[in-house]
Amino acid sequence: MGILKLENVGYRYKDAPKDSYVFKDINYEFEQGKMYAIKGKSGSGKTTLLSLITGLEKCTEGKVIYDEKDLKKMNLDKYRNTDIGIVFQSYNLLPRLTSIENIILSMDVSKVKIKNKKKKALELMKSVGLSEEHSKRKILKLSGGEQQRIAIARSLSYNPKIIIADEPTGNLDKDTENEILKIFGRLAKEENKCIIIVTHSQNVCDEVDTVYELIKQ
Amino acid sequence: MYILKNSLVSIIRNKGRNILIGIIILVIAASSTVTLAIRNTAKRLVKNYEESHDIIASISFDRQGMSAKFKGGEDAKKENIEAFNSIETFTIEDIKNYGNSEYLKGFYYLYATSLNSDSLTKATDSFEYEVEDRQTTTSSTSKTTGGNSGMGKVPGGEFGGRERHTTINNNTTTVITKSKEVFQSSRNLTGDFEIDGYSYYEAMTDFISGTYKVTDGEMITDFESLECVISSELATLNEVTVGSKITLKNPTSSEKTYEFTVTGIYTDNSNTDDTKNMYSPSANKIITGSGVIDLLVQDDSSLTTNITPTFIFKSKDVVDLFIEEVKQKGLNEYYTINTNLEELENATKSIENVKTFATTFLIITLIISSIVLFVINMINIRERKYEIGVFRTIGVSKFKLTMQFVLELLIVSIIMLMIGATCGSYLSKPIGNMLLQNEIEDTQNQEQEISNNFGKGPMDMRFNGNKQVEEISTIDAVVDVNVVVELLGIGILLTLISSLASMISIQRFSPLTILKERS
Repeated sequence: MGILKLENVGYRYKDAPKDSYVFKDINYEFEQGKMYAIKGKSGSGKTTLLSLITGLEKCTEGKVIYDEKDLKKMNLDKYRNTDIGIVFQSYNLLPRLTSIENIILSMDVSKVKIKNKKKKALELMKSVGLSEEHSKRKILKLSGGEQQRIAIARSLSYNPKIIIADEPTGNLDKDTENEILKIFGRLAKEENKCIIIVTHSQNVCDEVDTVYELIKQ
Repeated sequence: MYILKNSLVSIIRNKGRNILIGIIILVIAASSTVTLAIRNTAKRLVKNYEESHDIIASISFDRQGMSAKFKGGEDAKKENIEAFNSIETFTIEDIKNYGNSEYLKGFYYLYATSLNSDSLTKATDSFEYEVEDRQTTTSSTSKTTGGNSGMGKVPGGEFGGRERHTTINNNTTTVITKSKEVFQSSRNLTGDFEIDGYSYYEAMTDFISGTYKVTDGEMITDFESLECVISSELATLNEVTVGSKITLKNPTSSEKTYEFTVTGIYTDNSNTDDTKNMYSPSANKIITGSGVIDLLVQDDSSLTTNITPTFIFKSKDVVDLFIEEVKQKGLNEYYTINTNLEELENATKSIENVKTFATTFLIITLIISSIVLFVINMINIRERKYEIGVFRTIGVSKFKLTMQFVLELLIVSIIMLMIGATCGSYLSKPIGNMLLQNEIEDTQNQEQEISNNFGKGPMDMRFNGNKQVEEISTIDAVVDVNVVVELLGIGILLTLISSLASMISIQRFSPLTILKERS
C-alpha cells in the first residue's frame, strides 16, 4: 500500500493557455522502505512536481494523496513539519544559526514531541557522518557536502515517513554524492523511509528502486 | 515558545539592524514621553483648574441695548425715562425659577438693601463738629443771649449752622459764635448701612476667598433671622461686641426699626488703592441672610433692593443652553447673562497652547517615525526573504512567521521604550516649563505691543478684560502611569504599523519562488 499517491495529477501555470500543461495525467505511487527517482530533462516539471508533493503548490488537476488523505484537505504546514522532510539542492539552511540550531529549529517547528532535542540532533548528525565538532559551526563555515548532510539530518529530525530531495547531490562531487546516496539507502532500508529524489543524474537513478521519468509536454 | 526563542536569537544575531531600529525607537520614545507628559500634565492642570474654578454667570443690565433705543432731543427726555422705568426687572422668584435648571450645579444670590440707624455711628470720614469763634469788646452792661445766626461759609468745609452767644460782663462783651463743620464723604448710599443678604454660605464668596474673615464670634446660622455680622471697623467705632443688639431703621420710614443680633465681627483683608477714604469700603457693610431682606421688603415694599444672582454651570458646554432657557423663562431683553468663561479660558490659554503644540508634535513624530520604521522594515524583509522561504518550507505557518517578525520588533521596541521613557521623564519637566515660559512671554510681548499702541508702558490690566483669574505659570510635567500606558500603546501601534510590511510580504511570498531565486 503506497504512503503517497499521485492520481491523474496535472499542472499548468495560472496565466498559461487552457491546454498548456507543464505535465498532466501523472499517476505515481510511493511506498515506505523504497527509494524513488523522478528524472527528466530541464523544463520537464521535476521541481514543479516536487512542489506539489511537498504541498508548496497545489495541483490544478488530479489529487496528491498522503496516507489516504487528499493533500488539498490537509493542513499543509503541519504536513511539511511532521509527515515529510525536504532536502534541497541548495540546502536551504539558515546561515545565522549553527548546524545543530538548524536541526533543533526543525524539531521546534514540528508538532512531534521529542525529548532532549540536542541529544537527538547530535545523534542525527552522527548518523549522516558529522561529528559533534561540526554542530557548533555556523552553516557558512561548512562545506557543500557537510551542509547537505545537515539538511538531511534536519529533514529526519522529527522522524517523517517520507524524505523528498530535490537534486540533493547536484552541487556535490562524485564521492560525496555516493556517500549521500548511501545515507538515503540506509534510511529506506533500515528506517523504512520513503525516499523520493528528483534528479537528472543517472548515478542516482542507478541506486534507487524505481525511476519515474517526466516527459516534457 | 520557539517563536519567542527565534525572535530573541534573531535580535542577537542581527545586531546592526536592531541597533538602528532601536535608536530610532529610542528617539521616538523619548520625544513621545516628553510630549505625552506635557500633554497629560497640561490636560490635568486645565481640568483641575476648571474643577476648582466654577463657570459662573450673572445677570447684568444691557445698557447699550437700552441706549440704542433712546431718542435724542430735549422733548424725548421724559419718554426715555418712561421707557427705562417700564423695563421690568427680575425678582427673587425669577432668580429661583432661572436657577431651577438641569444645566446648573447650583445658584446663589446676594439680596442687598440699605438701612439707617440712630444708635450706630456710620464709619465714615464725614462728620460734624462744633467750632467756637470768640470776639470780645468792652461795654457797661452784662447779659447773655442766644440764637441762630443763619448760614455762613466756613473755611475748610461745607456750609454749617452757626449759633451766636453774647456775654456782657461789666464793660467787656464776648461774642461766641458756634458753627457746625461738615466734611462730606464722596460715598453716596441711600441708607447709611449696606445690608447684604446672602442666600447660602456658598454665596459668601468674599469669605470663601478669604477677603473677609470672621475674627470674633461666628457667621450667621439662620438666613431668615435678624442675625448679622458686622465689620470690625463698625464694631470698634460703636463699641459693639458679639451678642450685642443693634437697631437699624428704614431710611424712608423712621418708625420701622429692626433689631439685629450681632453673631460675629469680620475683618476686611483686601488691599485697595483708595487713598481718599479712611475706612474700607466694607466698613458699613452688614452681612445677613437673604431671608431677612425678604422680611424687610415684606414689611416695606418701597425699600430699594438690589439682586445679584450667580449661577454655577455643570460644564462649559451648557452655557448657551442655559442662556436660551433663561430667555425662554422670560428674562427681559434688556438683561444679559455674563459668564466668566472667557476669563477662565484666558487663564489656561498659554497652557492650552503648549498642550496643542505637544499634541501636534506627537502626531508629527509618530507619522514620520511610522514611515521610517515601515521603510526600514520593508528593507529588512527584503533582506530576510530567504529566511522566510526556509521557514515556510519547513512548515512554519504564515501566522507564526508573522508573529515572530512582529515579536522581534516588539521586543526591541519595549526595551527602547523603557530607556526612552526614563530619558523622557528627566527631560519632560524642564522642556515643559521652558515651552510654557516661551508661550507666556509671547503673550506678554503681544500685550506689551498693544500697550505701546496706547502710548503707555506696561498696563496693569489684561486686555481680555479680567485679572481676577490667575494664570497657570508652571507645568511641571511628570511621567506617570498614564504616560507609561499611553507610551506602551504607541509602541505597540508603531510596531504593528511598521510590521505591516512584513505581514503583507509573508502573506504574498511564495516559498518556492524565494528559494528558486536564491538558487
